[in-house]
Amino acid sequence: MSATAPRLVRLGNAVAVPVTRRGMTYAWSVTALVMVLAVATLSLGDLGVPLDHLPRALTGGADGAEAFVLERLRGPRLVVAVTAGAALAVSGSLFQTVTRNPLASPDVIGLTAGAGAGAAAASVFWSGAVPVPVGAVAGAVSAAMLVHLSTGRGFSSPSHVIIAGIGVAAMALALIQYVVLVGMRDQSTALAGYLAGSLSARSWQHAALVGAALLVLLPAAALMGQRLRLIEMGDELADALGGEAHRTRFWSLVVAIALAAAAVAVAGPISFVSLTAPQVAKRITRAPGAAVLSTALTGSLILVVADLAAQQAPVVRDLPVGILTAGVGGLYLGFLLVREWKKGTL
Amino acid sequence: MNSGLEARDLTLCYDDRVVCHELSLQIPDDRFTAIIGPNGCGKSTLLKALARTLRPSSGQVLLDDRPIGARGSREVARRVALLPQNPVVPDAIRVRDLVARGRYPYHSLWRQWSPGDRAAIDEAVELTGVGDLLERPVAELSGGQRQRVWVAMVLAQQTRTLLLDEPTTFLDIAHQFDLLELFARLQRDGRTVVAVLHDLGQAARFADHLVLMKEGAVVAEGEPEEVLTPDLLADVFGLRSVVVPDPLTRTPMVVPVPSSVPAGTA
Repeated sequence: MSATAPRLVRLGNAVAVPVTRRGMTYAWSVTALVMVLAVATLSLGDLGVPLDHLPRALTGGADGAEAFVLERLRGPRLVVAVTAGAALAVSGSLFQTVTRNPLASPDVIGLTAGAGAGAAAASVFWSGAVPVPVGAVAGAVSAAMLVHLSTGRGFSSPSHVIIAGIGVAAMALALIQYVVLVGMRDQSTALAGYLAGSLSARSWQHAALVGAALLVLLPAAALMGQRLRLIEMGDELADALGGEAHRTRFWSLVVAIALAAAAVAVAGPISFVSLTAPQVAKRITRAPGAAVLSTALTGSLILVVADLAAQQAPVVRDLPVGILTAGVGGLYLGFLLVREWKKGTL
Repeated sequence: MNSGLEARDLTLCYDDRVVCHELSLQIPDDRFTAIIGPNGCGKSTLLKALARTLRPSSGQVLLDDRPIGARGSREVARRVALLPQNPVVPDAIRVRDLVARGRYPYHSLWRQWSPGDRAAIDEAVELTGVGDLLERPVAELSGGQRQRVWVAMVLAQQTRTLLLDEPTTFLDIAHQFDLLELFARLQRDGRTVVAVLHDLGQAARFADHLVLMKEGAVVAEGEPEEVLTPDLLADVFGLRSVVVPDPLTRTPMVVPVPSSVPAGTA
């Protein structure tokens, strides 16, 4: 029996990247789904741009109320959902791969809590002086650095990273609670919305920030994919194959932290997208390793769905989107835990 | 005869614990070398250093007379392969994809498939007899099948030298012999095989060069008959034994002396 050559995406002789039929089908399907949901996001509800106006409106022919909805209300919000979802998902995928732990994510290692604490401090203590997104990025990076320092061996030991992360997350949550307690009431209310993760009232600047981060970091993540697949087999084997496990892990985590920080700065610490999207993509494509494109698209899909529900669905309407993703994510986390437990690996 | 792997004054540590101190060793080319010794004597650590996965505290490993640490990691990986003791099976991976990962040293950032991949994978699959398993998830395989798949992955690396860290430890006796026969065949086909083994009889039967280690140092090396002597075994393992020829292969067979037999009678 012959091991047939895989399908390759080729560019002359210089580029040859294997892809699976399943992975391609999945990527196209999710892309189509995201587009359908995007149209729904723009056109549903009282303020929506009617479907028959949409093509003209999108090509610059919108005016009055439609232009306002498209350019100020729903357009930026939709783009932030797509980009932040992708960033969180790929960040989570990198975390999970380098720690060889399906439960790892920027949430678990304290990054999102750190971002929340930074945002909280910025909005309550230095209101006006430090913009909330800047506070969030500073908080996320500080949390990551704290984890790096407190493991005693940097990011080289996955289990140490996770344990240190849980500690840093707990400290960050305590800081948030303290800020909320001492903060003024109105600021705390606005802060509560941010801390749950929200996409309402986003601007094109927000979208541009995450978009720019993706433009740089997604290719970086994709280029590391090969070496990440080696790390899955253990550091020793990765090293023996020439994969340089420690260096790869360090740079992957830098990219993962940057992606999560960009998303969190703009959308708040939206829970569980980074935990669930990589797992969903992996299970459906049956592709081991970090399949960057499928993972990114899955993250976009989850966040666009959740945000559409937050805008239009009865009962949950107007809840911050982070609460919806946490609801879905919580169920999924339970499923994962039970599965791991049954396998005896937990 | 020796142009391949050589350890020169190698000191190996984990954090602050010294495992090997100024160890020198020449791995003979085109032979089957078995590294034997008690638990914790530094066998696996030495193997890691030979594979460039553990950086020595001092001394160096030479590959073709050049320091291994000064060479590119992929370049070394095209020459020397290591099968660690406990490799991790990635989630949901199929046999075909796992074997293909052995081809990484031949790829580059943009070229993740090289023209030689197909022939190398086919050959590795054929040698290890895992052709019927290609579409199966690795996690569902039995221990013996799984170890064959790992060996196939390492063979797909197409290296002249194979380093195997206790490749038979968790297998039943039939699968152990199966694999050892395979390694012996690989050596006859022109590869240099180095394996850390626990079973002395198996080491004597399949390997033609033994390296006996104790507390991080090489105590003896040579033909199985020279290394497996009652005196050396008593010194290294603290084991009273008699050594008799294997009835089938005439290679030395170690028979431990039970404590019920008084000293001097055996």
